[in-house]
Amino acid sequence: MKTPPIQTAESIREVERARRRRERIAIGIVAALVAGLTLFEANLAALGGSVSFTSNIIIFALININVVLIVLLIFLVTRNLFKLILDRKRNILGAKIRSRLVLIFIGFSLAPTILLFVAAANITTTSIKSWIGGRVGVALTGALEMARGKLEAEARSLSGAVEEAAWRIPAGAGTEKAGMILETVRKGFAPEASLFLADPSWVVATSGDVPTGVADEILSRLKGMRFADQQGDSTTLIGDTFASAVRKTRDGRVVVALRTLPPEEARIIREIAKAYDEYHQVRLLDDPIRASYVAVLLLITLLIVFAASWMGIYLARQITVPIQLLAEGTEKVAGGDLDVRLEYVSNDEFGHLVSSFNRMTADLKEMKRSLEEANLSLSTTFDELRRRTQFIETILTNISTGVIVIDRYSRIAMINKVAERMLGIKTEKVLGKPYKEVIREEHFEAIRALSREIGTAEGGQVERQVELPVGGKKISLRVSVTALHDDAGGYMGLVVAFDDLSQAMRLQKVLAWREVARRIAHEIRNPLTPIQLSTERMQKKYSSAHAEDPAFAECTQTILSEVGTLKHLVEEFTRFARMPAPVFKEGKLADEVQSIVETYRAAHPGIAWEFERGEVPDAWFDPFQIRGAVTNLLENAAAALHGKGTVKVGCACEPDLGLARISVSDDGPGIPAADRDRLFEPYFSRKEGGTGLGLAIVSAIVSDHGGTVRVRDNVPRGAVFEIEIPLRPKGKG
Amino acid sequence: MSGEVALHRFAVPLILFAILFSANGTEASPKPQIVDIHGQVRGREARVFFTLGNAFTPEMVEALKSGIEISFKTVVRVERVYRNWFDPTVGELTFTRSVRYDALSRVYRLHRGTGEELLPDVQAALSGMTQYEITVPLTVPAERGKPYRAYARTRLDRVGLSEPLRSIFFFSSLWDVETEWAKGFLVAP
Repeated sequence: MKTPPIQTAESIREVERARRRRERIAIGIVAALVAGLTLFEANLAALGGSVSFTSNIIIFALININVVLIVLLIFLVTRNLFKLILDRKRNILGAKIRSRLVLIFIGFSLAPTILLFVAAANITTTSIKSWIGGRVGVALTGALEMARGKLEAEARSLSGAVEEAAWRIPAGAGTEKAGMILETVRKGFAPEASLFLADPSWVVATSGDVPTGVADEILSRLKGMRFADQQGDSTTLIGDTFASAVRKTRDGRVVVALRTLPPEEARIIREIAKAYDEYHQVRLLDDPIRASYVAVLLLITLLIVFAASWMGIYLARQITVPIQLLAEGTEKVAGGDLDVRLEYVSNDEFGHLVSSFNRMTADLKEMKRSLEEANLSLSTTFDELRRRTQFIETILTNISTGVIVIDRYSRIAMINKVAERMLGIKTEKVLGKPYKEVIREEHFEAIRALSREIGTAEGGQVERQVELPVGGKKISLRVSVTALHDDAGGYMGLVVAFDDLSQAMRLQKVLAWREVARRIAHEIRNPLTPIQLSTERMQKKYSSAHAEDPAFAECTQTILSEVGTLKHLVEEFTRFARMPAPVFKEGKLADEVQSIVETYRAAHPGIAWEFERGEVPDAWFDPFQIRGAVTNLLENAAAALHGKGTVKVGCACEPDLGLARISVSDDGPGIPAADRDRLFEPYFSRKEGGTGLGLAIVSAIVSDHGGTVRVRDNVPRGAVFEIEIPLRPKGKG
Repeated sequence: MSGEVALHRFAVPLILFAILFSANGTEASPKPQIVDIHGQVRGREARVFFTLGNAFTPEMVEALKSGIEISFKTVVRVERVYRNWFDPTVGELTFTRSVRYDALSRVYRLHRGTGEELLPDVQAALSGMTQYEITVPLTVPAERGKPYRAYARTRLDRVGLSEPLRSIFFFSSLWDVETEWAKGFLVAP
């Protein structure tokens, strides 16, 4: 199937424009043809007095063509008016103003044209009436009568001559004799006239100059009058060129004496007769003449009205087309299409307007392009800034230092997660607010005290180690306050950094305890063997001697038992002191933790062991040490529950921080607040028979993994231990 | 319906109807006709006689008296009549007659193709314009005893108005005089 061509708005407009051009040309040709043919026909009428109306096919054709052309003109104008009404009904852009302009043009042309028509018709009618009904008719009739009277008098003056000639000419006289008699009579009675004898239809003899045409006319008239058959013997005949007297002869022939008028006199008489005829014709055709004039005037009026209508349509279109183009163009521009270019060329104001519009859209397009380029550049810069900001934020998020940025108006501009945790505040709640209002008073005082010192500090930085309450306990923090200045040296605010020294101090303590343990183990281990050996020797050697004394056996057994205890203690100390460096392997931390939980579930069926497994990617850790640490925590939980309760173990991941978190919570009695600070120190135990090294070892393992371990209250009861280790320790992955 | 279609569907017939109705306004009047057509054929000519009736309306008579020249054009055709076959034309003649009143001479000048006849009164002039005795030359000799038929038709040819009136009435005809074809048998020798 043939696909119809796609018609764009521009192509439709071009087709419409071509159609209108064709219409204009057609109307121009029609108007020119009407005018030309009318002129030609008018000339034809003036020239061709003998051209018959109804038999001349060319005239008919011309008249019909004129009528057809006028009808065509009327049709085109009517069609345009009809189209205009339709456009207006359909609310096509520009139709209203166009119809208004056309109405104005028609109104302005109609009123004077109709007025002119009425006046002209009235004047014409009145003129014709006054001409017909006035004295013109009397004058013309009088003139004709006078001319006729003169000619009659002339004719009568020739009566004597014809009487004499008729009396003298004998019956049957031949041409020669009759001619002689006529000549004699003419010379005697009317020397200025001419005479002839007729038979009566042909001339027998003449005297003087007898014009042939005149003689024929006279004879014809005599024949028409049946003069030969009439009783009377004489008569007079006049024409526009002659006057004559006629007399019968005795033999029935006729003698005619005639006088031809001088040419000038004949011309005047003819003019009088002509004017008389015209007057009577006009009088007879009074009504048709007036109707004809009115029809012509009406035709002219209609032509003017239609021409004015057409001109109105044309001018209205001239005005509305550029307006319509501009409106459409503006709509397109408003819709974001800046490629709009209006095709309208004219030297008038509309042409300038359209050209300005085109220039404006071109400028807008250029500006848009510049803006887009600037936007792209800004976007690139913004992306770079965002990338850098994200980089800084990532750094700030992942460092173990808490950072707060305070702007020049003492409002918090930025805060990282570590600082949030340390200060117990939420970023979204404190950003943009004065830091005095959102952080605890102790913290505020510490920062303010340090900030006061900045003015005198070298390098605009002050650093102090302070004890501040964090999470319900006082921890040791290193607080660093740095003043920010722009390139011009203007104050921009402060950067406050918090370093939690408790972990470092704990590590130092662990290391110190390890040293102590090593020395104690060394010092204790040495005398224990001699003591044990000596005691065993004493038992062997003196047990029989003191068999009746149970105290001896009891004492030596006690010594041996305590030595055994001491040895066990020394081995624990040694293990604690000699804890090897972790051997990192990449593995599934959650699987490791879950296997330990399953072991404990089997061993302690009275306790509900719940394991919550999160999405934890492969991590780098020492499986043996981590198993030891988690086992320690589960052992403690089981011990705290005394065989009944719930232990929830979780393994999750903090992808933003790059940490894996293992949590062990129980609903046991919990950890008293006073014990929490010393909980991870060696030889601190509330458990009966405990060495106090379990949690110290957990802390040491976690520290060796670069992580942290902490404890908090479980809700509603119990304790929660949380181990956080990096997924990728330094140098791994 | 688009505007263009509506335009063609309503506007064009409207305009045409307006034109047609505006053109239809003539009054009925006695129709001119040719009556009593007869004659005879002999040798290579046919003599045809007929009368033109209702040709002159009172207005035309008045116009004639006012000096307006009136001219009729007449066509006379002679056909040999065959039974069950086409009738061939054996002779045809077209001629004009005109009459004009001369106010100065007070005569009617009648032209019948044989020169001017000057008639003293209007009755004679009208008779001269309506009584016809025409000789039509034949292309073939008349056949003895065979039927011949004459056809005649007359129409107003020219109205000789004075020059100013000619311009005024150039686009219109004052009277409409035109007969139908009249026919009558001719006597064969």
